[in-house]
Amino acid sequence: MTRVRLRKIESFIALSLCSLAAFAGIFWLFFILGDVIVHGASALRLELFTNDPAPPGIEGGGLRNAFVGQLLITFFATIIGVPLGVLGGTFLAEYARGKRIAKLISILSDIMVSVPSIVVGTFVYAVLVKPVGHFNGWAGAVALAIIMIPVVLRTTEDMLRLVPWTLREAAFALGAPYYRVITQVVYRGAAAGIFTGVLLSIARVAGETAPLLFTSFNNSFFSINMNEPISSLTATIFQYAMGPYDDWHSQAWAASLVITLFILLVTILGRMIIKMRYGGK
Amino acid sequence: MPVSLKKNPVDLAFLVITATASLSVLVLILGIVFVLFSESALSIKEFGILRFIFSTDWNPVIESYGAATSLFGTAVTTLLSLVLAIPVAIGIAIFVTEIAPGFLKGPIGVAIELLAAIPSIIYGMWGLFTLAPIMADYIEPALQDTVGRIPFVGILFEGTPMGIDLLTASLILSIMITPFTASISRDAFNLTPAIVKESAYALGATKWEVMKNIVIPYSKLGVFGGAVLSLGRALGETMAVAFVLGNNHQITSSLLDAAATITVTLANEFTEADTDLYLSALFNLALILFVMSFAILAVAKFFLLRAERKFTR
Amino acid sequence: MTVKVEVKGLNFYYPGGVQALKNINFSVYKNTVTALIGPSGCGKTTLLRCFNRMHDLYPGNRYEGEILLDGRNILSKNIDLIDLRSRVGMVFQKPTPFPMSIFDNISYGLKLRGIKKKSVLSERVEHALKQAAIWDEVKDKLFESAYTLSGGQQQRLVIARALAVEPEIILFDEPTSALDPISTAKIEGLLEHLKKSVTIIIVTHNLQQAARVSDWTGFLMLGELVEFDATEKMFTSPREKLTEDYITGRFG
Repeated sequence: MTRVRLRKIESFIALSLCSLAAFAGIFWLFFILGDVIVHGASALRLELFTNDPAPPGIEGGGLRNAFVGQLLITFFATIIGVPLGVLGGTFLAEYARGKRIAKLISILSDIMVSVPSIVVGTFVYAVLVKPVGHFNGWAGAVALAIIMIPVVLRTTEDMLRLVPWTLREAAFALGAPYYRVITQVVYRGAAAGIFTGVLLSIARVAGETAPLLFTSFNNSFFSINMNEPISSLTATIFQYAMGPYDDWHSQAWAASLVITLFILLVTILGRMIIKMRYGGK
Repeated sequence: MPVSLKKNPVDLAFLVITATASLSVLVLILGIVFVLFSESALSIKEFGILRFIFSTDWNPVIESYGAATSLFGTAVTTLLSLVLAIPVAIGIAIFVTEIAPGFLKGPIGVAIELLAAIPSIIYGMWGLFTLAPIMADYIEPALQDTVGRIPFVGILFEGTPMGIDLLTASLILSIMITPFTASISRDAFNLTPAIVKESAYALGATKWEVMKNIVIPYSKLGVFGGAVLSLGRALGETMAVAFVLGNNHQITSSLLDAAATITVTLANEFTEADTDLYLSALFNLALILFVMSFAILAVAKFFLLRAERKFTR
Repeated sequence: MTVKVEVKGLNFYYPGGVQALKNINFSVYKNTVTALIGPSGCGKTTLLRCFNRMHDLYPGNRYEGEILLDGRNILSKNIDLIDLRSRVGMVFQKPTPFPMSIFDNISYGLKLRGIKKKSVLSERVEHALKQAAIWDEVKDKLFESAYTLSGGQQQRLVIARALAVEPEIILFDEPTSALDPISTAKIEGLLEHLKKSVTIIIVTHNLQQAARVSDWTGFLMLGELVEFDATEKMFTSPREKLTEDYITGRFG
């Protein structure tokens, strides 16, 4: 029976290592989150949201410009990206269901979801910045929208597929044309899922930095003019963290805390909706 | 599915609108390739494609550009991060699917997914302010004192430990891609039918033997696809490495040296490119990155699709 | 006849205290086939999975009572499950080939037990495949993936895999429910032949099958063993009205 003992010991060691790996994962999460919370919370004060940046090297000031800029860019990215994504996903799951083109676009979207976001930034620079001659907020919004489209499109497709085909047949049987079946029956059935997909895609782009670096760039002054360079939290974090001033560093931590909490909350909310609506995973 | 449109004009219009929207993905991909290619034209004309890829020069002063140093940094950080991430990710996946007691499964799964949701810039900044000093003060000197003394292997750990180097960047990258790889591996493991696992237990296999001999071979396509997908992600990651790599264009044998990746070069130099050739060379880098990622992601997708098909048969 | 297994006052509870088996008592005799029948959800598979403690794979399951294998209680805490499971093999509803070659499938259990010698392995693999009446069909492709076989062949392969480790008992959980009539007939023929070397317990939803292959039959309903008797007696003159109703197809 010594052989069985050996096998059991081997199993125990291997499984312990796996457990250790899992706890290492948890460890990093707590380490990073804890660090962001500790540093961020100590730098978090009201002026951060109400004041604009002080001149470089001078203490104080806030990041009102970056918060507003981030909201504007994300808002317009959502306005552009979500309709395209939802409509595109509708085509794949409804009119083109089962067709080759649907499969192809679905696969390409999956690839696009993981394509380096900085490449999207260079593309938008060439199309929307270079011809205009200067960085502008629209370019940032478009860059984020490009990242959003495939995410929303794929979620929409998946969620529409979850709506049973018989539900559509029941509506057809009443003599409804397809577009009415889609807009009045199918969308309603998939609403929670699509909404969650949109939420998660907003969380995804809200943390993007690379595509904004050469599109909306940054702006130390308060601006709501989308035709001009506009500040964003993420680009500001990059600039401040790499900068030489301690005050900048603590503001970068504070901004990181705000953006991390926002994204984690949205992610958890999204998961809860999915769990409530679809159960299980 | 065959649904006749019955010549309803509104239906036809809706069809056209949705079709156009879905084609936007195709248009974007083609547009990116076309634009990056035409913006790179100047650089390609000046240096040629192969010479650009293999040249180690990156000197804005004399206007001589080559991708080799950036490709080197990209390759080293990506591969090293995968080597560090994949065993941990598979361990996590095994823990979550087979070991964790029911009440831990949910919370750990959520924690891993939250780790995946944290934006990369947070990883980067945390790396710069927290991890890099720890690396420089403790881990890297310790590595030099131990594995650094082994002949040949020691070459990897030469130099002054600064924390701003290939090793730190790879470690951050690995922390970042681990949850992603873990969740794909977990999904792949979950595709193994319960009765196949039970059959192995019924033969008297231990839990680890079931994992090693049955579950992992059963899901290897999916796990492999997930690893390749992570490779594609790591390749294009910018912010997690931009803070801690140093953007130093060199090919070095030591992991404790600063370096540059394609993404880091782009992030640091794109807005500073003051000549057309400089900018074109940067676009050329972006083109190379796009083509590489796209190809790798396509391969990953191919494996994941095959893995899925195997089980829906 | 020697008693191989004796079930005494067995109760079984799923998580949350749901009782699935109530006070089960019967004996399984050596070198016989014992069939467990009953409507779906009656607990026959649950009962079968007690014999190799399959329920231990999932948390929250609880046994009460005793199952004596050669006089030793296998439900006791200090039983080694790996040892138990190498004495009690199992075959499932669907074929469960492992993702490896035909040869490796059969030799897997042997290798777990530390048998490494090629010649011994080859000999035992061949013997097991012959016992399971599949040798002629696979002898030329032993090193091909087990997935290349048909469903019926896969099920016989899985039986061979269970036989290779020379268990004392094999549990069959509706082994032919996913197979065509010809494959089913082959496996039924196999059982008759196998009982010379092992003791067989089979769960089936097919009454004719139980009548054809088994020596003893237990009829379960709602977690209780309504009747246990020699198959011939059970199918001709059952003691209980409930058994008669079930066997004559009045419900189920």
